[in-house]
Amino acid sequence: MSVNGSHNAKPKDRTDQRAEVALGALASAVLLLIGFMIVFVFSKAWPSFAHNGLAWFGPGGNVDEQLANIFNSPANPSNYVYTMHAWPLLYATALITGAAVLLSTAISMLSAMFIVEFAPEAMRRVMQPVIRLLAAVPSVVYGLIGILVLVPFVGNHVISGAEKDSVRYVIQLDGSSVLVGVLVLTVMITPIMVAITTDALRSVPRSWTEGAAALGVNRWRALRTVGLRAARPAIVAAVVLATARALGEAIMLSMVSGSVGFAPNPLDGTTFIFEPARTLAATIVDNAEGLSVKPFGQTVYAFAAVLLISSFFLSFAGWAARQSMRKYTLQAR
Amino acid sequence: MKNRLRRVGILSALAIVAAVPAAVPATAAAKPTITMSGSTTVAPLAALLARKYLQVCDHCVNFKLLQGGSDIGVADVAAGRVTIGNSSRDPKPSDPGGLVFNKIANDALCLVSNNANPIPGVDQAGIQAIFGGSVRSWTQVPGSTQTGTIDLFTRTAASGTQDAFLKIFMGTTKVFSGASQKGSNGLVEQSVASDPGGIGYVSLAFTKNVHTIPYKGVECDLRNAKSGQYGGVRNLYMVTRGAPTGATAKWINWITHTKAASKIVGTQWVPLV
Amino acid sequence: MSTHAHVPAPAAPPAPAPPRLAHHRGEESWSRGDKIGVALAWAAGILLCVLAAAIVLYMLFRGIQYLSVSLLATHPLPSLDQTKSGGFLDPIEGTVILTILGTAIAAPIGVGIAVWLSEYARPSWLARAVESGVEIVAGTPSIVLAIFGLLVFQQSVFGFLSFTAEGNAVFGRSFFTAGAMMALIALPLIVGSTREALHSIPSHVREASYALGKDRISTIRRVLLPASRRGIGTGVTLGMGRIVGDTAIVVILLGASQQIQPENGTPVWGLLKGTGSTLTTYVYNNSPAGEGGAPQKAYAAAFVLLVIVIFLNFAVDLIARRKEPTWTR
Repeated sequence: MSVNGSHNAKPKDRTDQRAEVALGALASAVLLLIGFMIVFVFSKAWPSFAHNGLAWFGPGGNVDEQLANIFNSPANPSNYVYTMHAWPLLYATALITGAAVLLSTAISMLSAMFIVEFAPEAMRRVMQPVIRLLAAVPSVVYGLIGILVLVPFVGNHVISGAEKDSVRYVIQLDGSSVLVGVLVLTVMITPIMVAITTDALRSVPRSWTEGAAALGVNRWRALRTVGLRAARPAIVAAVVLATARALGEAIMLSMVSGSVGFAPNPLDGTTFIFEPARTLAATIVDNAEGLSVKPFGQTVYAFAAVLLISSFFLSFAGWAARQSMRKYTLQAR
Repeated sequence: MKNRLRRVGILSALAIVAAVPAAVPATAAAKPTITMSGSTTVAPLAALLARKYLQVCDHCVNFKLLQGGSDIGVADVAAGRVTIGNSSRDPKPSDPGGLVFNKIANDALCLVSNNANPIPGVDQAGIQAIFGGSVRSWTQVPGSTQTGTIDLFTRTAASGTQDAFLKIFMGTTKVFSGASQKGSNGLVEQSVASDPGGIGYVSLAFTKNVHTIPYKGVECDLRNAKSGQYGGVRNLYMVTRGAPTGATAKWINWITHTKAASKIVGTQWVPLV
Repeated sequence: MSTHAHVPAPAAPPAPAPPRLAHHRGEESWSRGDKIGVALAWAAGILLCVLAAAIVLYMLFRGIQYLSVSLLATHPLPSLDQTKSGGFLDPIEGTVILTILGTAIAAPIGVGIAVWLSEYARPSWLARAVESGVEIVAGTPSIVLAIFGLLVFQQSVFGFLSFTAEGNAVFGRSFFTAGAMMALIALPLIVGSTREALHSIPSHVREASYALGKDRISTIRRVLLPASRRGIGTGVTLGMGRIVGDTAIVVILLGASQQIQPENGTPVWGLLKGTGSTLTTYVYNNSPAGEGGAPQKAYAAAFVLLVIVIFLNFAVDLIARRKEPTWTR
């Protein structure tokens, strides 16, 4: 069908139009699917929210007990139990995700500066495969190492008997804890942030940092004040990506952070990091088999709906932050 | 012209490939599939039995085995999502109607502690105190070599083992709310095995790496379970919607009435015959 | 382009390192805070290297102890005794099948969407909506996609994709359903990489093609797509890596049968309708989070998984390093 010459103008246009419509339909189909997903999940989740109102997000009672009661609801639909106060799960999600992202941001920025400026040549060549390796390890492998190495280590050697005794009437500390969860999660999300931050630092125009050096500023300070500032939109993008990854991490956290829907109490002092917690994603994975029991399934979909909303907010916050930084920095990528 | 031919060729090849699955199922003899879900206690037994059954009947059925806990098995079979629901607990009044609980074996429910903490024995009051949360330190448990906090490992709400434990050992005492809830026998075994201060309960088949605690003076082992002396014996069921029919009936019949099946059951569980 | 930032930049060929700031000893002032900063930067870099080495060495040490050729070639069998429970041939096959299926679904769709976004993109509100949609999928946790998949594929209209149980309840779990959701998680990576590749083709190439009388679709087919092969290859390999490493979708949507169990006699179709397991669920189930029966085998399987993922990453590198078509101005 080699078209050549204007006398074939009409068939050309039709084929082109058909192609455009076909591709456009494909793109819209995917969009419809995504819209469908959002609508479906929310419609399934609605009864759980409707029955609890705003108290769904609040504290009150033991989450595991409430889940058990929902699961054991009588068969009559009008007698379904929906009571759920999901605060411990929301709190655990915010706590573990937030701590991991903070820790990871610090490590990533430092590592990125190291790679871009301070690492000797040989080491720099090693770092790139290292980062890619860390990013490539599947989460189940991280979970395996966590549960077979870190959890028993923390449980038997780090947590002291006295600490266990101090909370023994409330919760038991056996090693699967916020601490292990945050540590492994940090290792999981750092490679993404390092990769993006390194790219961003590298693309800062030389003239900017050289200008700083001309003013007598040392390498570290030049990089910190000029380089990082210029790379801010990329750092924001990296933080958003990493947070999204952390929010969605289910399997690894369900293996190492504890299987109790407990809200760790900061007033316990340092023992607080040894207490178990369970995020929304981990709760969904742990309870996925019970989806077929109606009110229970709806509660689990409610958890999924909260996760979806958080991802939206995250994307939006990232976009808004990048927009506001546009005028200070390089062309937004 | 060449392109048009190529295009026609590709399309017709695709059409043939797509038509094959439509045509073949009509001719191929469809093997019945038996899907099972539910109890994590029954699961290894069902898997072993299935393996033997496939050899015996020359691959006459397909098996699919899921887990999730006895309550999930019961809910699934009542809704028709699976053919058989495995259950390690007795029928409850709140169960949906129309279900038939076919008993396939008995099982001993053992209390276990870490190998570094070989408790010589416990009675019902002791168990209720430990799992109920009124006793939280090993120093208060006679015969224990540990001195720290007691780490309790129980099962999730959907578990039949949990139901059996509550019925046989706890009575009306509620389990301590801070206990760690695990999703399967294997997880409880692993948790107790790696924590010197741990205590939990598992089916007899899962006691390789832990110390079994004699209950009311009787050791928890297969012989005592078979003789009925051990106090913690419970029933294992395969639940069907209505009486089992066809391939399902053959399967359950084979389990309950043949010597080969009995032999397999007798390795870690208590056979009916 | 907003999807741009969501693709972890595929390995760029080693760009000439920009010259470092001149190191004039003594001319700059290093406060104590600055020195601590540099020390911390060094510490962070070394920490990452040590972690990577530790993970790989540990998996190597533990995994290879129990790894043997027979493990890779025998089927897993149910048994309470670890020595009799066979190998993990079926999980390996499951991983391969699922990856191929997911990629086969995602690649044409992903390239198609990228082409539409890059070359047509009319009406513009639709283009922006599709862009946001792809971003949303990229940001959705895979566990949510998994339970959404279960929700959709358990409707009776999709019964042909998996197995229908007796009470007319659709099982909803099979290679097809898991593959479909895997395609969704690979999609944003393919779309992003392809768009970048298409974007990097200078416009004069397109203009030259139009000047020769070709219409848009022919230009795309004959000129642009072949030129973006490298970017598409990178995207597809990245997507494969993501699929191989994902556990949540497999745990929920693949039916958790140890061995691959085809649904009926038809060779390929029946297999895809059936259930099975992959290396990720094998590791999960044999670890203390599953039944805990075989931690050594879990290590061995995890090691094999790690090797596969590293190999895929290596492949991304190789593809990205291939000579990019140079467009003379």
